[in-house]
Amino acid sequence: MKPVRLAASLGAAFVLSATVSTIALAQAPVCSAPVKVLAQPRDGLTLLEDSKAEFEKLAGAGFQIDYLNENDRRAKSRADASTVGNYNVYYVDEANVALFASSKWIVPLTDYYPADYDYADFDPGRQKVATYDGKVWFAPLTGGGDLMVYRKDVLEAAGIQPPKTLDELIADVPKLTNPDKGMYGIALRGARGSGANVWRWMPFFKAYGGQWFDGDKPVFNSDAAVKATETYLKLFKDSAPGTQTGSWDESTGAFLSGQVAILVESTPLSGMAVDPKTSQVVGKIGFLPPPSPLPGGGYGHGLAIAAKANADDASKKCAGLFIAWATSKENEKRRLDAHQFGELNRTSILSSKEFADIYGADLGQALAETGKVTAVNFWQDPRWPDLGDRWGIILEELVTGTRTDIKGGLNELEAYATELAKKK
Amino acid sequence: MARRTSLPVTFVVPTIAILLVLSMVPTLYAIVIALQNRELSTPDYSWVWLSNFVDLFLDRRFLNAVWVSVKWEIVTVVATMVVAIGLGVLMFEVASPRLRNVYCLLFIIPVLLPRVSAAFVWKFAYHPLYGIATYPYRLITGGLIFDPLSKPGTALFAVASVDVWQWGLFFAVIVLKLLETLPPQPIEAARLDHAKRWQIHAYVTLPMLKAPLISLMFVKMIESLRSFDLIYVMTRGGPGVATETLDMYAFSQGFIESGKVSYASAMAVLMMIATVITFTMLWKRAQA
Repeated sequence: MKPVRLAASLGAAFVLSATVSTIALAQAPVCSAPVKVLAQPRDGLTLLEDSKAEFEKLAGAGFQIDYLNENDRRAKSRADASTVGNYNVYYVDEANVALFASSKWIVPLTDYYPADYDYADFDPGRQKVATYDGKVWFAPLTGGGDLMVYRKDVLEAAGIQPPKTLDELIADVPKLTNPDKGMYGIALRGARGSGANVWRWMPFFKAYGGQWFDGDKPVFNSDAAVKATETYLKLFKDSAPGTQTGSWDESTGAFLSGQVAILVESTPLSGMAVDPKTSQVVGKIGFLPPPSPLPGGGYGHGLAIAAKANADDASKKCAGLFIAWATSKENEKRRLDAHQFGELNRTSILSSKEFADIYGADLGQALAETGKVTAVNFWQDPRWPDLGDRWGIILEELVTGTRTDIKGGLNELEAYATELAKKK
Repeated sequence: MARRTSLPVTFVVPTIAILLVLSMVPTLYAIVIALQNRELSTPDYSWVWLSNFVDLFLDRRFLNAVWVSVKWEIVTVVATMVVAIGLGVLMFEVASPRLRNVYCLLFIIPVLLPRVSAAFVWKFAYHPLYGIATYPYRLITGGLIFDPLSKPGTALFAVASVDVWQWGLFFAVIVLKLLETLPPQPIEAARLDHAKRWQIHAYVTLPMLKAPLISLMFVKMIESLRSFDLIYVMTRGGPGVATETLDMYAFSQGFIESGKVSYASAMAVLMMIATVITFTMLWKRAQA
C-alpha cells in the first residue's frame, strides 16, 4: 500500500470513527433516571403529563411530578432542599427565589438551559422576577401583574362607572354589595401568608407610599401601613363570604360563580373569567388596570434546578433539559390551544395572532396597560417569606377580628423585623 | 434451668434495644437541637442552651398555642366521651340487635375516612354560602351568612365537631359492645328494684365499665394530641391564631414561616415533658 493511500485510508477511518462517536454521543440519553419534580397544581403541568412520552424520547427517561398546594409546596420544598434533597426540580416563586438562591438550594438556570430553547423569548417582566443577584434561577410557568375585572351588568344596573381611582373603588364597593341578591362589592384575601393576604394588601401599602426597609432599618411601620390596613379592613366588610379565611381560590371562585362585582386580582383570573368551563360570568365582564395609584403585584412562578439532588453536572443538565422542554414554545403552544391563559409566558405566544383570536382585543389592551403599573411590591430578600408570613398572621387576626389594634400589630412586626435584620 | 430462663432474655433484649434506639435517638436529637440555634437556611449554628426555652415563654403565639391545645384536648376528649356513652347507651336501650348492627356499621364509617379527606369534606360543608352544615342557619334566618371557620369564637368548636364525628361515633360502637358483654344479672336485679333506666346505667353498668372507659379516654387523649392534619386542612391555625395548637405552631416555625428548627424542637421538647407529666398524673389518679 502506498503511503498516500495508507494515509488517506487512516484519515477516512478516523473521520468515520469520529462521526460514529459523535452520533453515539448525540444519541446518548441525557437523563439516566426519571426527573422528580415538586410542584403546585397547574393546568399547564397537568397538560404536560400528556406529553410524557415525548420527553422520554428526548431525554431517555421520564418525569414524575408531585403536587402540593402553594403553602404546602413552599414548606415541603424548603424542608426537602435543606435536608434530604429528594427532588431534581423545584417549583419556586417570586417570594422564595431569593431564599432558595442565597441558601444555594438551587443552581443558576441558564448554565444548564439549552440555548435552542430561547430563554430570551420569555416575557421581560417574568425574566426580571426570575433574576436574583444578577443570575437567572427559574423558567417561568406563570406570572404577570394585577388586573381589575368587573361585572359590566352589575355596575350598569347600579349606575356606576368602573372605578379608575382607589377613592372611587372605596366609594363604589359598598354600593354594589347586596347580600339579599348574593352580590358582594369585592373579594379580597384574608388567609395568612406572604403570598396570600399580604400579597393583596401590599398594593394598598405601596399606593399610600409605604416602603419595607431603608437598608437594614425597617421603615414599614408608618402612616402608609396604617392607612393601607384601614382601607383593606374597610373593603373587607363588603368582601364575599368565605374570603375572610380564604385566598386566591376563594376570591376568584366567588367572582367566577357570579357573586362579586369587582375583583382586583392576578392576571390569570382574566383568562379563567372568559372561559365557559370555569366561569359563569362569560360575556358580562370588563377589564381595566387596577384603580390608580394601586400598583399591580408583579409575580412569577417557575421551575428551578435543585442543587442537592443533582450532585453532578449530568444530573443538572438533565434537570435543565426537563425545564427547557416543559417551558418550550411547543409546550406553550399546546397550553394556548387548551385555552390555559394563566400558563402563557412567552412573548412569541402572547403577541401571536392565535392569542388575539382567542382572548380578544380588550384583554390584550388591558394587559398592555396593566404592565405599565406592575411593580415588585415585596421586600426582595431571602428573609421576606419569614417577615411576610409573620405579617400575614397579624393581618388575618385583624381581618377576622381576633385583634383590633393595627398600630400594635405593626409595632409587633417591627420588633420582629429588627431581629430579622440582624441575621443577615 | 439456666438455659430455660435465658430464652426470654434472648427474645426481649433485642426488641427492647431496637425500641430504645427508635424512640430515644430522635428524642435525644430533638433535645440537642433545642439547645442550639439551627435554621434550615444555613448550615451554621451555635449552642444557645436554654435561650430557645426562655424565648418561648416571651412569645405570645406560643402562650396562645398552649391555651388552644389545652382547650382542644378538653373539648374533644369530653365531647367524644359524652357522645360515645350517650349513643352507646341509647343504642343498647332502644335498638333491636339487627338495628344495632346497622348503626354500628354506619358509625364506624367516619373513622375509616382518612383525616385529610374528612377535613376537606367538612370544610366544604361549613362553607358559608354552599355548605350543607350552614344551610339550616341560612334557611332559618332568611339567608344570613354564618361562616363558623372564620369566627374566632366558633372555629375551634367547628373543627372539634369533625373530630368528635369521627371518634365519638366509633367509640359509641365500642361502648355498645362493652355493654353487651356485661353479665345480665346485676341489670335484672336493678330492674326488680324498680330502678329507672338512667339509674341502671349511672349506678350499675357504667361503673362496671369504669376501667375500659378510662382506657378509651386515654386513647382519645393521645389521639387528640395528634390532630395536626385535621386543623391544618380546615383552618391552618386560623382565624388569626384561634386554632393554632402547639404542634401546628412548631411546624409553622420549623417549616412554613421561619425555618427555625431549633425553636420548633424546643416546643416539641416542652410538649413531650408536659405530656409525660400530665399523663402520668392522670394515670395514677385513675388507678387510685
